[in-house]
Amino acid sequence: MTLALVGGTHRTVPLDLRERLAFSAEQAAEALARFRDRFPGREGVLLSTCNRVEFYAAGERNAAAPAAEQLVSFLAECRGIDAGLLEPVLSQERDEAVARHLFSVAAGLDSMVLGEPQILAQVKQAWAIAQDNHTAGPLTGEMFQAALRTAKRVATETALGRERISIPSVAVADFASGVFERFDDKRVLLVGAGKMAAETLRYLREAGARDVTVVNRTAGRAVELAARLGARPARFDELAAEIAAADLVVSTTGATEPVVTEELFARVEAGRRGRPLVILDLAVPRDFAPRIGSRPGVWLYSVDDLAAACEANRRSRQREMPAAQAIVDEETRRFMGDLHHRSTAPVIEQLRAGWSETGEAELDRLFRRLPTLGDPERAEIRQAFERYAAKLLHPPLSSLRSESRSGPPHGLLDALKRLFDLKD
Amino acid sequence: MVAFISGISVVCFVASYAVALACEVSRLAFRSGMRGAAMVAFAAAGFLAHTLFLGWRAVNEAAVPLSSPFDWYLLAAWLLAAGYLWLTLANPRTPVGLFLLPVVLALVGAAQLSSRDPFPQSPATQVWGAIHGMFNLAASVSVALGAVAGLMWLIQAGRLARKQAPLQGFRMPSLERLAHVTGRTQGIAAWTAVAGFVSGIVLNAVNGRRGLMETVPWTDPVVLRMAALVAWLIVADALAHAARRRADGPRVAAWLSLVSVLVLTVSILWGLFGATRHGMPAAAAAPVREAAP
Repeated sequence: MTLALVGGTHRTVPLDLRERLAFSAEQAAEALARFRDRFPGREGVLLSTCNRVEFYAAGERNAAAPAAEQLVSFLAECRGIDAGLLEPVLSQERDEAVARHLFSVAAGLDSMVLGEPQILAQVKQAWAIAQDNHTAGPLTGEMFQAALRTAKRVATETALGRERISIPSVAVADFASGVFERFDDKRVLLVGAGKMAAETLRYLREAGARDVTVVNRTAGRAVELAARLGARPARFDELAAEIAAADLVVSTTGATEPVVTEELFARVEAGRRGRPLVILDLAVPRDFAPRIGSRPGVWLYSVDDLAAACEANRRSRQREMPAAQAIVDEETRRFMGDLHHRSTAPVIEQLRAGWSETGEAELDRLFRRLPTLGDPERAEIRQAFERYAAKLLHPPLSSLRSESRSGPPHGLLDALKRLFDLKD
Repeated sequence: MVAFISGISVVCFVASYAVALACEVSRLAFRSGMRGAAMVAFAAAGFLAHTLFLGWRAVNEAAVPLSSPFDWYLLAAWLLAAGYLWLTLANPRTPVGLFLLPVVLALVGAAQLSSRDPFPQSPATQVWGAIHGMFNLAASVSVALGAVAGLMWLIQAGRLARKQAPLQGFRMPSLERLAHVTGRTQGIAAWTAVAGFVSGIVLNAVNGRRGLMETVPWTDPVVLRMAALVAWLIVADALAHAARRRADGPRVAAWLSLVSVLVLTVSILWGLFGATRHGMPAAAAAPVREAAP
């Protein structure tokens, strides 16, 4: 049984080449159909995301996985790229390294953003496409199941994916959600049209925010933005009144001076009746005077504050790496042990069949010599024979299983074949 | 089965709660896939033992809950343990046990230091005694819950003010929810404490007329400490209410809830170690027994 992998990631393949190499779902299906025709009897799964393109292949002894060069040529042919361009940038792995790599990928350990969870859905999708195109099989099936198990263990047994590391997600999940229990009854105000506003709003919408108002210096731009974001536009001269009514402000203007000064905020404050206000000031330079953050009931976070929290979370993820890596190692050992043990199945079957055949012959002889035996006695004797055979077979089978954990048990298999005269 | 239940002692559920608390504390140190289940299992085992212990006393020792200071404290601890289990199952990532379980253990400790002798009762005083005990129980449990929510509010507000991401294993509920719980429990504590005090006055009058128990004078330490507690809880609720529309209102309420639990603690300690005629049979000569708040 052999496993093979050829692939490249954001670390090894330049963006322009990665763009040409990427497969859409339809292109992946076509490629797998072509793989099935080109390499009959082999299994193949194609994983293509914006950061990686990887082809996993597997085969049994009489139809081993294609060689790395064949897979590189195959990928190049599928995407119409010169194979010479791909060879130096695509990495190649065989057997245990393939499983270890897939488990790391599924757990997000090989992602650009360490521990990001989207990759798991992409791995599942790749597996589903392979199943639909009949290139998935028992070997890749076991390997992908083990990969999903590994990812689940890493997610539950480590904090790798727990802490958020993008500024908008940290702003909403770690800070705004620390103040507010729910967002469906809160009023959100977007000031300006910076890039991060839309992204932050996406997280707020996921958290339940419905009532969103957009204020922009240019009225037309506010209307356009509001239409795009499903929000209500407001005029810039209404900013003070909108802040008084808001529960959460996301500010991303390009202004060079603070848009909301301490004096302006002091005037607004009276109309707020003590309601807490979360301000996510994502603009550089800042839109809100920093001293506003020291007023009671105001939770003001600048980009630097949020970036520091992101960095702390990133370090926290890094600290989880050894634990996550240990899980990947353990699952790889377990998978390879099962895989090696699987290769012993034909020998074990032959061994069992041989013993069973001999036992049956002996029992027939015995029962002919003792014709007076009733059915209960015969059943007892038959059971005793079966137990005896099972007990005799247990030590060699146990040794095979334990030997499988450290690699293919070729030596033991050969010995068993010679000792018991088993044929391939 | 009967032998098993009768063999349950205070140590059984205290040990279970202590292990659950140790599991809660370990959240701060490391992650574990099994800890949540172990924590709930120990807390549930402790709660079951606690329930069986109270049930056994009620059925076999005629110690209906609230009938002695010992049972009163254990019932208060039982209510808080039930609250802990419910909150932990509903919000497994919130370390509410770090705050609630020490209160549960402290109440069991107070029970151990208090009298197990039941209050003398007649059919008339039984009803008023139960009402008095229940209102005081509700007030004390509300104060404890309010203080836990208030303390969590202050910790969460401190983290948000320092602009730090939540610590691993120490994710608090939102300020909005904590402020809501603090405000609610403060109101409940104040009004149930008033009801407990008034029902105590009625009970005292009934006792005086029937001559079953000692009439507790207005100068009795229990009356004084309960009056002080009730007065404080009313003042605290009024202050929190007045600050409700101020930006620092939740912070004021959080601090008031902590002062309330401090006043309650002093009141309990005074009850444990002070002398009183509260709950004494009419024949008793010397004021030697402490009583529940």
